[in-house]
Amino acid sequence: MKTILYFCVVLLLVAGTIIGCSSRNPDGVTTVTIAGWQSNTNENQLLEQVFKKFEAENPKIKVKHEVINDQYMDVIKTRLIGDAAPDVFYLDAFEAPLLMKYDVLSPLSPDIKANFSLADFEAPLLNAFKYKDQIYGLPKDFSTLALFYNKKAFQEVGLNQPPKTWEELRKYSKKLTIDKNHDGKIEQYGFGITPDLSRQYFMIKAYGGKLVDKNGNCAFDTPEALKGLQLVIEQYRIDKTSAQPSDVGASSGSEMFGQGKAAMVIEGSWAIPFLKDTFPNIDFATAEVPTVNGKKGTMAYTVAYVMNKQTKHKDAAWKLISYLTGKQGMKTWAKEGLALPSRKSVLSELGYNKNRLYAPFVAGAAYGTIWQAGKNLPIIVTQFNNQFISALIGEQPLQSAMKKAEATANREIEAAS
Amino acid sequence: MLQEVWKKKGVREAVASYLFMAPTIIVMGIFLIIPIVYAIFLSFNRVRVLGDLSYKWSGLNNFIRIAGDERVWIALQNTAEYVAIVVPIQTVLALILALVLNSQIKGKNWFRIIFFLPTVTSSAVLTLIFMWIYNRNGLLNNFLDFLHLPTYNWLGDPAVALKSIMLMNIWSTAPFFMVIYLAALQDIPISLYEAATIDGASGWEKFFYITLPLLKPVTFFIVAMGVIGTFQLFDQSYIFSGGSGGPNNSTLTVVLLIYQYAFKSLDMGYAAALALMLAGVIMLATLVQRTFFKEN
Amino acid sequence: MTMNRSRWLKVILYAILVLYGMITVVPFAWALSASFKPLSEIIAGGVNFIPEHFTLDNYNKIFIQSPLFGRWLFNSVLVAVWVTGLNLLFNSMAGYALARMRFPGNRLWFFIILAVLMVPGQITLIPSYLILKYLGWLNSYQGLIVPTVVNATFIFMMRQFFINFPNELEEAAQLDGLSRWETFVQIVLPLAKPALAAQAIFIFMGSWNNFLMPLIILSDQDLFTLPLGLNTFKGQYISYWNYIMAASMVFTLPALAIYAFFNRYFIQGVTFTGSK
Repeated sequence: MKTILYFCVVLLLVAGTIIGCSSRNPDGVTTVTIAGWQSNTNENQLLEQVFKKFEAENPKIKVKHEVINDQYMDVIKTRLIGDAAPDVFYLDAFEAPLLMKYDVLSPLSPDIKANFSLADFEAPLLNAFKYKDQIYGLPKDFSTLALFYNKKAFQEVGLNQPPKTWEELRKYSKKLTIDKNHDGKIEQYGFGITPDLSRQYFMIKAYGGKLVDKNGNCAFDTPEALKGLQLVIEQYRIDKTSAQPSDVGASSGSEMFGQGKAAMVIEGSWAIPFLKDTFPNIDFATAEVPTVNGKKGTMAYTVAYVMNKQTKHKDAAWKLISYLTGKQGMKTWAKEGLALPSRKSVLSELGYNKNRLYAPFVAGAAYGTIWQAGKNLPIIVTQFNNQFISALIGEQPLQSAMKKAEATANREIEAAS
Repeated sequence: MLQEVWKKKGVREAVASYLFMAPTIIVMGIFLIIPIVYAIFLSFNRVRVLGDLSYKWSGLNNFIRIAGDERVWIALQNTAEYVAIVVPIQTVLALILALVLNSQIKGKNWFRIIFFLPTVTSSAVLTLIFMWIYNRNGLLNNFLDFLHLPTYNWLGDPAVALKSIMLMNIWSTAPFFMVIYLAALQDIPISLYEAATIDGASGWEKFFYITLPLLKPVTFFIVAMGVIGTFQLFDQSYIFSGGSGGPNNSTLTVVLLIYQYAFKSLDMGYAAALALMLAGVIMLATLVQRTFFKEN
Repeated sequence: MTMNRSRWLKVILYAILVLYGMITVVPFAWALSASFKPLSEIIAGGVNFIPEHFTLDNYNKIFIQSPLFGRWLFNSVLVAVWVTGLNLLFNSMAGYALARMRFPGNRLWFFIILAVLMVPGQITLIPSYLILKYLGWLNSYQGLIVPTVVNATFIFMMRQFFINFPNELEEAAQLDGLSRWETFVQIVLPLAKPALAAQAIFIFMGSWNNFLMPLIILSDQDLFTLPLGLNTFKGQYISYWNYIMAASMVFTLPALAIYAFFNRYFIQGVTFTGSK
C-alpha cells in the first residue's frame, strides 16, 4: 500500500516538472495551431517538412500541428462550440456548408492578393468553399474516382481493354465473375461496389436526376435519379457479378481488389499508393469511369484549409494557409500521390496528368460531381445508405426504398430547420 | 447548543455519511449532474450551439416530435429486443463461468485469464476479427457449412445483422460480469456451506438455498448494468453500419440516433430530449427489476 | 458406479471449458499473430496463425519510430494509477454510506447515482467539455483525472456488495469504540478485498482504454495517452491493420497483467472465516 502511495507522489512530481517545461514560450513569437487528419505517416512527415520550411521563412511564427485521426468532425465541432478550436484546420467540402452557414469560419477573400493566382485552382474545387461571394477555404488537394482493373484477370478471359461504357462494364463483369474451383462459391467477382451515397451520387445524376432541390431538400425519388442507381442494383441482384467488400470479408473496395476478389473497382487515387505498397504482385491499371447514358461522370472529393473565426492570430494563420496552398508549399507534400494537388500548375509540374495511372483521375476533375450538397447532406447520407443497402440486398424494390429514404430525410430536414 | 445537537447519534451519523459521500457529490455534481441538468434545459428548447449560442423556448415540442418519429420507435424496438435476448444470456453465462472457475478445478487460473481475453481486446481489433469471422465466406459460415447447417449473410442481411452484434456483445461482456460474480462468490461464508453439508444438503440444494440468495444484490447490479449497457448500445452498431443504422434501420439504436442528432445535425435540443426519453425507459425497466430483487 | 459418473462429468466439464476457451482465445491469438505480419499478409485474409513473413516492423514502428511513445506510456500510467486509486477509495466510501449508514437523502442519492448511469454519455459530452474549459483544465492532467475519480457504476456495485455484509461486524466495531471511519478502514475495506480487486481491474481498464474524452480535450501531443498516441498510426483512407494490431497488443498486455495480478484475490475462504 505504502509503495503505491510513494509511486503516486513521484509520478505527480515528475508530471509537474514536465508541464512546467512545456509551457514556456519565447517572446514575440506567435504559435499557430493547425489540425487535420493524416492519410499515412509518410504524408505526415512531408507535412512536417513544409512546416519547418515555413518556420524558417517566418521566424516569428511557430506552427503547432495536431493530428486528429478519429471522429475528426465531432472533435472539431465540439471545440468550435467551446471556442477552443485550432486556428487553421482541414475541412472536407462535404461538411463545409454547415460551418459556413453557422458563421464560424473566417472569410479569406479580403487577404487574397492578385499574385496568389486564384485562377490556378480548379474552379469547381474552389467553388465548394464559397458562400455568399466569400471564399472560406482554399482547397489543399482533391481526388476523383476512376476505374481500377486487374490486367491479369482481364487477359485470362481474353479482354485487353477497360470498359468504356456501363453496358461494357456489365458485360465484362459477367466474364470476370469466376468460380475457380467449381464449389458453387464465387472466388472472383467482376466488379466491387461500395453502396454509399458518397460513391453513388454521380449515378443519380447520370440520367438527369438530382440529389437535392433548390431549397436543399432531398429530391432523388424520381424516375431519372433511380434509373442510374437501378443499374447498380440490377448488376448485384440479377447478374450477380458484383459484390460489396463486406460480402467477401474485406473492409474496403481497394482491399477486395487487392485480394483479387474483384477484378474491377471504382476507387479514389488514394488506392494507388496503397495497392502498390500492400499488394506489389497485383498488376493493375486505371481508366476513367465508364460512361453512363453516354455521359462521363465521377465523384470529386476535396479538402480545404479553413481559418477559425475566433483565431487570435489572423495574420499568422493567413500566412500559413497561403504558404501551404501556394505553389511552393503544395508541391512539397503533394508528391505522396494519395490525393492530387488542387493547383493546375502544380498538377502538371509534378506530371500527374501525364502519369499513366493518375491521368484518369486528373481528367475526372473536369466533369466530376463535387461531394457536397448543402448543409443537410449528412442527414441525406444517413437515410440513403440505410435504405439503398436494403434495396441492394433485395429486401424491397429500389423505388420504395428510395421513397422511404427521401420521406424520412425530408421530415428530418424540416424538423431541423 | 451545538454540542447538544452533536451528541445526538442521528446527527453525527448524518454528518459522517455526508463526509463519506462528499467526494462523490462534488465530482459527480460538477461533471455529471450539471451537464444533465443542462441537457434537461436543452430538451425544452430549440438550440443553436455552433457560432452564436442561442436558445428558444419550445415547450414540449421536442417530446411531441419523439412521439411522432417513426425512427425512434424502430430504434426502441430494436433495442428492447436486444436487451431481452442479451441480458439474460450474458448474466447466466457469467454466473456459470464464475461458478465453474470458483470450484476446485485444475488450471483454473489459466482459464480465468483466457476467458477474460475478450474484455481486454480493443474494439477496433474485435471489429476486424468479426468481419473476418462473419463475412459470407468467413469462418462461421465455413463451420456451419461443414456441419451441413444453413449459412447466413451475417452482416448484410437485416434479419440477422442485429443478432450478429448480439453474439459479439455477449461474447465480449460476459467475462466482465464473470469477474464480478467471482468476487461476490468470495464473500459467501464457507461456514454456511459446511453447515449445509452436515445437514445433508446436495450440491444443487446448496446452490439454490445458499449461493443464489446471497448473490441476489450482486445479481441485481449485474442485471441492471446489463440493461443499462445494452439499452445504450452504440459502438458496435455504429461500426457495423457505418453510422447509418441500416440496412433498413435494422441496427438502429436510440443512442445512435442521439449521436446523429447531437453531432451530425447539431440538433442538441432534440438529442437531449431523446436522451431523457431513453433514461426514462431504462429507469422504468430498472424499477421493474427492483420489484424482483427486493432488498430484505 | 458413482466414481465413474463423476469422472464422466469431469470430462464433459473440461471439454466445455476448453471449447469455450477456444472461442475466447482464437480471436486474441489471431490478433497476436497478425501483429507480427506485414499488412499485405493480414489483408490477404489467410487463416494461418503462424506468420508466413514474420516481421517485427510493426512493433519497431511503434516503439522506435514514434519519439513520444515513452511520454504516452508515462501519461497513461500516471492517469490510470491516480484514477484507480482515487476511485477505489471514493467509490467504496460512497457505496458504504449508501449501504450501511442511515442519513437523510440516502435513498435519493442512490436514485440519483442510478439515474446518472441511465443518461447516455453522448449528451453530456459537450456540456462537460464546456465545464472543463471554464475551469481551464483543457489540455491538462487534472482535466483527464478529476472528472473520472468517481464512477457511478462502481459506487452501485460496492453498495450491492456491502449490503450483504453481516450486521454483527459494525456492532462489534461499535462496542470496541471505533468511529465510522475507523470501522470502514480497519474492518470493512479489508473484508471487501475481492470487490476492490474487481473494481481495480475495471477502473484501470476503463482509464487505460478511455478514448473519446481525451481525444476531445487534449490537443497537445505531449499529453496524449497511449490510445490517442497509437491512434496516429491509423490512416484516413486506409486502415493499417498491422500497426493497429501491434498497438492493440501493446496496450492490452498491461491491462491483462493487472487482471492476472488482482486475480489472486478471488480465492474463496479468505474473508469472513476469520471474523466468526
